Amino acid sequence: MSDSFFSQPFSRRTALKIGLGAAAAPILASCSGASTSGGGDFTFLSTQFTPVEEKQRFEKILADHVKDVRVSYNSMAVGDFTTQVKTQVSAGKVGIGMVGGLHGDLAPLAENLEDVSDLAGELSGAGIPKELWDLTKLGGTKNAYIPWMQATYVVGVNKAALEHLPSGADVNNLTYDQYLDWAIAGRKATGKPILGFPAGAKGLYHRWFQGFLLPSFTGGLITTFTSSEAVEAWTYMAELWKNMNPASTNYDNLQEPMARGEVLVGWDHVARLVDAPKDKPDDWVMVPAPIGPKGLGYMLVVAGYGVPKGADKKKAATVIKALSKPDTQLEVLRQNAFFPVVEATVPDDLPPAVKLESTAVKATQGASKALISLPPVGLGAKDGEVSQVFKDCFTQICKEGAAPTKVLGAQAKNLQRILDEVKVPCWAPDPVTAGETCTVG
Amino acid sequence: MTSAETSAETSARPAAVPRPQPAVDTAPLRALRRRRALLQVACWVVTAFMVVPVYLIALAAFSSRSALNEFPLRFLPTSFSTETMSTFLSSTGVLAGLINSIMVGLLTLVVSFLIGVPAGYAIARFAFRGHDQYQLFLLFTRALPIVVLSVPLAQLFLSTGVYDTPLAVTLLHSALALPTTILLTSAVFLAVPVDAEEAARIFGCTPVGAFTRVVLPLALPGIAAASIFTFVMSWNEVLGATILTLNQRTLPAQVLSSLSDSPLAFRFAGGFFLIIPAIVFIAVMRRYLLNMWGTTIR
Repeated sequence: MSDSFFSQPFSRRTALKIGLGAAAAPILASCSGASTSGGGDFTFLSTQFTPVEEKQRFEKILADHVKDVRVSYNSMAVGDFTTQVKTQVSAGKVGIGMVGGLHGDLAPLAENLEDVSDLAGELSGAGIPKELWDLTKLGGTKNAYIPWMQATYVVGVNKAALEHLPSGADVNNLTYDQYLDWAIAGRKATGKPILGFPAGAKGLYHRWFQGFLLPSFTGGLITTFTSSEAVEAWTYMAELWKNMNPASTNYDNLQEPMARGEVLVGWDHVARLVDAPKDKPDDWVMVPAPIGPKGLGYMLVVAGYGVPKGADKKKAATVIKALSKPDTQLEVLRQNAFFPVVEATVPDDLPPAVKLESTAVKATQGASKALISLPPVGLGAKDGEVSQVFKDCFTQICKEGAAPTKVLGAQAKNLQRILDEVKVPCWAPDPVTAGETCTVG
Repeated sequence: MTSAETSAETSARPAAVPRPQPAVDTAPLRALRRRRALLQVACWVVTAFMVVPVYLIALAAFSSRSALNEFPLRFLPTSFSTETMSTFLSSTGVLAGLINSIMVGLLTLVVSFLIGVPAGYAIARFAFRGHDQYQLFLLFTRALPIVVLSVPLAQLFLSTGVYDTPLAVTLLHSALALPTTILLTSAVFLAVPVDAEEAARIFGCTPVGAFTRVVLPLALPGIAAASIFTFVMSWNEVLGATILTLNQRTLPAQVLSSLSDSPLAFRFAGGFFLIIPAIVFIAVMRRYLLNMWGTTIR
C-alpha cells in the first residue's frame, strides 16, 4: 500500500488525543498517590477508634500529646489488621511503626511482635495493675505488648424505665432475678420489650456469657461449663431472651437503639453506650451489671500497644511513653470513653455521659462481691473460636429452644478440643494452675 | 364503484337524512395507547427502582442526626443539615482517598484497555487453535477469591517496592478487569461487519488504519459499556485494596471499615459520597453509549 496510515495527515484533534493519551499514563503512574492517613512519618496501626468521630478525636490527642514524632493513625477492621501485620513482618519490610488493639486482637500476633519487656520495665512505676501485666505475657514470660487503656461493660438505663423496677430493688445493686422481673414488668406495662441485647453480627454479646452471666451464676467459666449452676444460668438466659427486644439480633451496639428510644435498658461495652445519653444526659443513669449467686461477675477489656518485629523500636517507645502519661490517658477517657490503665486521678469535669459511666465502672470495681473475669488468656488465634462456642450455646438454647443440658454437653467437647490444641492453663475467673491445660468441667 | 354512482351519491347527499356512520374500529388505537401508557408506567417504575434508594440516601446524608432517630422517618427534606457530611468530609484521608480512587480507576481503565482491546479484537477476528479454551481460561482469574490472591501479592509487592501505591492496586484491578474487558470487547468487535474493514483495506488503509478509522469508531459504544464495567469494578473493589495499601488507600478501603462502626448518620453520608463519582462516570460514558445506538449494541 502506497499511503500508509502513518503517512496520512493527522487532524489536530487526533494529534491532541494521541498526545493526551500517551502523556496521561506516565503522569498518572508517576504520581505516588495521596496519603490517606495524615502524612505522618510514623504509622500507628490499630483496631481501635474506627468510627469517624472517635478517630478524629484520637488524632487530635496524638497531635497534642505526642510532640516528638509525627504519628499517622491508621485504624482498620481486625481481619485486615492481622493480615497487614503478618504480611509485612513475613516479607521483612515493615512500614508499620507500632500496633494497637484489644488483647484478643494482639494475642494472635504474638509471633510477629517484638519483646517489649525492657519498655515494660521502664513503665513499671506508672501504676499499671499486675493482672494487666500478666495478661500481656500471653502465657509466656516476656511482655508482648504494653497495656494501653481499659474498659468494661455496664448497664445503661433510661430513667423512664425506672418506674417498672420491681419493688424493693435498688437499681445500683440489681440481682439477676430482679433484672428479669424488671424486663417482664416493663414489657407488660408498655406493651413492648424495654430490654435490649447487643446480639448483632458485630455485637459483643458473647462477653455477657463469658464475663457476666456465667461467672455470676457459677463462679467460674470453663471449669464450671456443664455444672448444674451453668444449666440454671442458661435457663435464666432463655427466659430473659423472651423478654428482650427481638430486634436485638440486629444491634451491634446499644447506643443507637437507645438514642432512638427503641431500647430503654441494656448491657453493653462502655464505648458502645456512651452516645446514648449524649443529647439528654439527665434522662439516663448507668449502673453495674446484675449480681448473681456467686457475685458480681464483670469482664475487664484491655487494649494494648505492641511493636511489630523489624519496626523502629526506639521511635515506638517514644510514642508509647507519651501515650502512657496520665494526662494523655485522661484525655482519651474524656474524649473516647476508654479508661486509663496507669495511676491517674479521674477529674470531675468529665463530659456528662463519661461521668455516668465512670460512676458505674467505679461501683462495679469497688463492689464487695465483684468477681473479675479476664478475656481468654493465651488462646491466640483460637480466641474467636472460644467466643463462638458461647454464641452457639446462645443460638441453640435461647433462639432455638434446645435443652441446656444437651447443648452444653455437646459444646463442652468443642471447647475441650480447642483448649487441648493450644494447651493453656485456665484464666480468671477459673482457678489458674500454671502449666496445667484447662479442663472443661 | 363507478364514477356515475359516486356522482349520483354526491349529488343526492344534501337531500338525504344523515345516515349513521359506520362505527370506526378504535380498538387498534386504544391498544396502541394502552401499550404506550404501560410503557410509560414501566419506565417510571424502573426509574423509581433506581432513583428512590439514591434519594433516600441523599435525604439521610443531609438530615440532622436527631432527625434520623425519629420514627417514622420523613420522606421529604424537613431538617436539612450538612453537619454530618462536612464532618465526614473533613476526616483524615477521605479526600486523599477520593483522589487515589479516581487515579486507580482511570489507570485501570488505561491498562486494561491497552491489553484488553487488542486481545478482544484477536479473539473476534482470528480463528486459532485453542480459541474456545482460551476464552474459558480467561475467566479463571475470576475463579480465585481476591483474598487468596492478595496476600501473596502483598508480599510480592512489598519485596518489589510497589506496595502501598496506587500502582499496586491498579495492577490488581487490571488483572481482575481483563477477563470482562476482553470478552466484552470481543463480542463488540464480532458485531462490526468484516466487510466494512475489508472495504477500508481495499480503499488503501493499512490494517492498523482500518482498525483505528473504521472498526474502532463503530465499536466505541460497546467499548464505552465495557469501560463502565471496569471503572465501577475498580471503584467498588475493597478487599484487595485494603491489603495492598496502608497509607495510600482508595476511598472504599479507607472509609468502609470506619463507616461500618460509625453512627448511622455517617453511614448515609459515606454511602452517598461513595455513589456520586460512579454515577458521574456513568453519566459521562452514557453519551458514548447512546452515540451510535444500534450499531454494535444489540
